[in-house]
Amino acid sequence: MNTQYKKGVLELCVMSILKRRDCYGYEISEYLSKHIDIADGTVYPILRKLKSDGLVTTYLSEDSGGPPRKYYSLTALGFETYEADKKEYLNFAKIVETLLEDEDYDKK
Amino acid sequence: MTKSEFLLQLKNELKKNNISDLDDVLNEYEQHFAFKLADGFSEEEIAAKLGNPSELASQFIPDTSQKKYGGRKTVTIIGMIFANIFTGAFFLMLFIFAAVMGVVTVTSGVIGICLIGGYNIYNLIPGMPYLCAIIYAVSLLSFAILSAAACLYFVVFTRQLMRSYKRFHINVMAASAGKATLPSLPVYPLLSAKFKRRLRMLALSSLTVFAVTLVLGYIISAILAGNLEFWHVWGWFVK
Repeated sequence: MNTQYKKGVLELCVMSILKRRDCYGYEISEYLSKHIDIADGTVYPILRKLKSDGLVTTYLSEDSGGPPRKYYSLTALGFETYEADKKEYLNFAKIVETLLEDEDYDKK
Repeated sequence: MTKSEFLLQLKNELKKNNISDLDDVLNEYEQHFAFKLADGFSEEEIAAKLGNPSELASQFIPDTSQKKYGGRKTVTIIGMIFANIFTGAFFLMLFIFAAVMGVVTVTSGVIGICLIGGYNIYNLIPGMPYLCAIIYAVSLLSFAILSAAACLYFVVFTRQLMRSYKRFHINVMAASAGKATLPSLPVYPLLSAKFKRRLRMLALSSLTVFAVTLVLGYIISAILAGNLEFWHVWGWFVK
């Protein structure tokens, strides 16, 4: 699939995970690569882009005694953007689906 | 590829692409290795699944698609200054209108209370039987409530309009500087359905009471004065 296109969709997926709860990078990477066939390392550039766009923030947290982990958290702007983009994407996907399912309607 | 080979390659590629905060990026990948190693994967397996370092590094390059507007920044600023002068005047007008509505609300409320209480400061209120005064007082008070509801909605509406314009302003400036823009805000206020329902109920009921008492007041005044133009009988508008 076109990487540029995939990137936009992956951003949306990452935001949907962060909407539920704050996560550290590895969690998101694991979760996504379980469902989507992408290289494990792709998530980190996405997280960084989301951060520089102000859609997520990070904070360090030391749970379970290990080294501090960098948690990602969706900002208010992130929530807003996520809801808007999600609606847009789902609409778009619906239209594409109709078009693709209907590809042979000329033959009818 | 081992962990250190992977990280070194990634570091060099990131440097080549002028990515800032190298350590921050590398730290994430180091942590990824740490987690995967703890799960029993070998360094080679992990590196292979992470992907090609130079490909990954190129994904850290910020999008440049929006940067082409960069040269128009000065033009945009001048344009926005003019736009701000006009919208400033427009908002000033809205503020004045809100203030007038507020004054109307307070005035009709005060006159209503004066009519009920029988206070007549400086003889400003024309004389009439107390029964009519009561009816007109109810009429004025319900008008005050109607006006207050309208004023409240108007203020909320103006506030949202200003916020929306502010967001638009920020976005125009951001786009001209080649920075990411924020989603635009709706022009109409986002009120809860409950609040809207209550406001509408309040406005409708006060409007009804106002209309009914106004007509009732006229009828009763006309009957008591024995004349359809009762104000002549009671000597209103005559100095």
